[in-house]
Amino acid sequence: MPHSNLRARRPARPLLYLLPAIGLLTIFFLGPIIVNGVIAFTDMGENLRVGKFTLLNFERILQRDARIPGVLLTTLIYVSATLFFFNVGLGALLAMATTAIPPRLGGFFRGLWLLPRMSPAVLYGILWIWIADPTPSGLLAQVTSVFGLPALNLRNDYPLFLIILANGIVGASFAMVILTSAVRSIPAHLSNAARVDGASEWGVLRHVVAPALSQPIRFITIYQALSLMTTYEYILLITGGGPVYDSTPYALYIYRRAFENGAYAYGAALALGLMVIGVVFTLVQWRITDMRSTFAAPRIEVL
Amino acid sequence: MHKTLALFATVSLSAVLAGMAHAEDIKIKLSTLVDKTAPARVTNIEAAAAIMNEQFKAAGVDKHIVVETNVSAAKGWDDLALEDMKAFSVGQGPDIYVLPHEWIGKFAEDGNALPMDAKIAANPWAYADILPVLWTAAKAKDGKIYGIPQDAEIRMFFYNKDMLRKIGKDEAFIDSLPAKVEAGEFTLDDLSALSKQVVDAKVAQYGMLHRPNVGIDYLMVFQSYGVKFMDDKTGKLMFPKAEMAKALGWYERNAREGVTPADNTAMSWDAIQGAFKQEKAFIFHQGVWAVAWQLGDKMGANWPTDKDAYFHKIGWIPAPAAERGGKPANLSHPLLYTVNAKSKNADLAADLVALATLPYFNTEHDVNSYHTAISNGQTAMPKYKENWVLSAASPMMAHAQFVPNHTQFGSYNKVLFSGLQAVETGKMTAKQAVDFIADELSLQFGSDVEIRDAVSN
Repeated sequence: MPHSNLRARRPARPLLYLLPAIGLLTIFFLGPIIVNGVIAFTDMGENLRVGKFTLLNFERILQRDARIPGVLLTTLIYVSATLFFFNVGLGALLAMATTAIPPRLGGFFRGLWLLPRMSPAVLYGILWIWIADPTPSGLLAQVTSVFGLPALNLRNDYPLFLIILANGIVGASFAMVILTSAVRSIPAHLSNAARVDGASEWGVLRHVVAPALSQPIRFITIYQALSLMTTYEYILLITGGGPVYDSTPYALYIYRRAFENGAYAYGAALALGLMVIGVVFTLVQWRITDMRSTFAAPRIEVL
Repeated sequence: MHKTLALFATVSLSAVLAGMAHAEDIKIKLSTLVDKTAPARVTNIEAAAAIMNEQFKAAGVDKHIVVETNVSAAKGWDDLALEDMKAFSVGQGPDIYVLPHEWIGKFAEDGNALPMDAKIAANPWAYADILPVLWTAAKAKDGKIYGIPQDAEIRMFFYNKDMLRKIGKDEAFIDSLPAKVEAGEFTLDDLSALSKQVVDAKVAQYGMLHRPNVGIDYLMVFQSYGVKFMDDKTGKLMFPKAEMAKALGWYERNAREGVTPADNTAMSWDAIQGAFKQEKAFIFHQGVWAVAWQLGDKMGANWPTDKDAYFHKIGWIPAPAAERGGKPANLSHPLLYTVNAKSKNADLAADLVALATLPYFNTEHDVNSYHTAISNGQTAMPKYKENWVLSAASPMMAHAQFVPNHTQFGSYNKVLFSGLQAVETGKMTAKQAVDFIADELSLQFGSDVEIRDAVSN
């Protein structure tokens, strides 16, 4: 009897529990998407007034805006290079290296790598500007002058490289933390057994550690790719997207069109485009990396 | 219960009392750009409010004006104009705002700027003596005046005479330079060549520096090359490709030859101004108000503050002519006090502006921030006359031009600046930059901007 009572009450409760989450999602997520969607079909300019509803913004994106192909290419290079070399590559390397050394030392190094994540973005951006400053006061210029090399002007000549480096170094810590816990969760007897069986250290890494990392890496790839695609604060701070549009990925391009040029409706239309790109990209990656299996219920411990 | 009642009574009583004490507090919101060297844009309005408050008090009127100032840290006047537009769109616009004159059309069109013609006619004690050319700069397309000139100024090239001495130029050459520029004998290319000599002799690290962001100074060079930004007959913005290519070509050559650093547009203001002050740069390209930090010990070096010693070190010239026999070009960029047409205190705000425009107040602003006078009378005031910087700058106003008062000129200039950045950084040739700008302009403005092959066709 009490059992059936519980059942009868159940439908009302999930909604109640979910209400705060639904409320937050509606206000901060769904609401802005709808507002953005409406603005995208208007002619809202710098005075934020809506004169008429129009499809012109989309026509401009698809047919007339000559910057778009370059911006998409920049986005592709920026996201994939940052992701593979730093957010996953460097993160995995750090996780494996800091778990292979004594725990105290490992913890210290991981703490160091978290520092840029903990410092305010503006401070981090200014530090990079100082590093890349081609005048004798810049860090890199001081290093190159010791070797008698000419000063490099990264912000002007290799802006894309600079923003990949700056974003990568701050972004590697995310994978480092997750992968460290993945490495730690590998039962010690597996690697011990492998070593007893004559496996080299490389063999242990290749056949015991790497398989355990593959699933978290899939998750990190999707998550970080989306986050790289939509954030631009370090780029805005370090190069401002310049020179001209040379280090402007799509998300920053939206910002520059909307807030530098005051073309708010055009920015909103571009933002809708980014949402479409994000969704398609996630679905494709979900398929390719077989994320379903990552989120599947474990085969053991199922009651 | 008693306690609660007592508390409630105390709170409501003190609220009523507080309300009575400031029954007629009138808040006037003022918006301007942060400018350490020109605090009087704010203090003059505050002083005007103080006068009115005194008069209210003397007349027993229970009113009190409180000026609330928002000093924006926006990157420049254009960004501030965008900020103000956002504030207006949500009904939070300031009562009085300082605006670069070329934006007046946009704010007038949106109904956010109060037409001032009637006020000007009604208050000759404040406005009768204002320079007519400044009224022209404050007019929107409909011919009405929407802003009150807050200040005027003149743009120029500052050059370091000590560096010319170091490369072996004699005093006769140095002293004759302004006259040669004036006569059109010394061209922009001659200036580049001279800068190159200074850099090649390792007397300065940089030959020529200009502002790092969108603004007015570099437009002087475009005007020297014969660029016109607006068709006077149609009132439409235009983009004459041939002249633009020549002007951008000058900046391109300067960057390629090491006269201007390729990353001038990525440098900070401090780095640029510091380089000129610490004598690492031969030429700096800005307005007369830059003298405010050139005198004395600001920006990391100490320069003389008296006229003779300053001019022994530094010289001023307008943008030289593009070709021999041509005319040099100069720009002035007046700022305006603009009153919010929708403000419920618009009349009061306009009264404050009228008081702040009086010669006494404007001269206070001018002599401290090195801006030129807005009225004829001011130039006769002892304090103004004694200011050697302003007296030296006044003759340069002779061929001063203004940028067009077009609603979209601010946005047009942003595109132009990105083209300038493209040629300096070596991302594009002048020819490519011209096509890039033309493409961007037609993308952003459609048929509102006329892309032409040259000015005269």
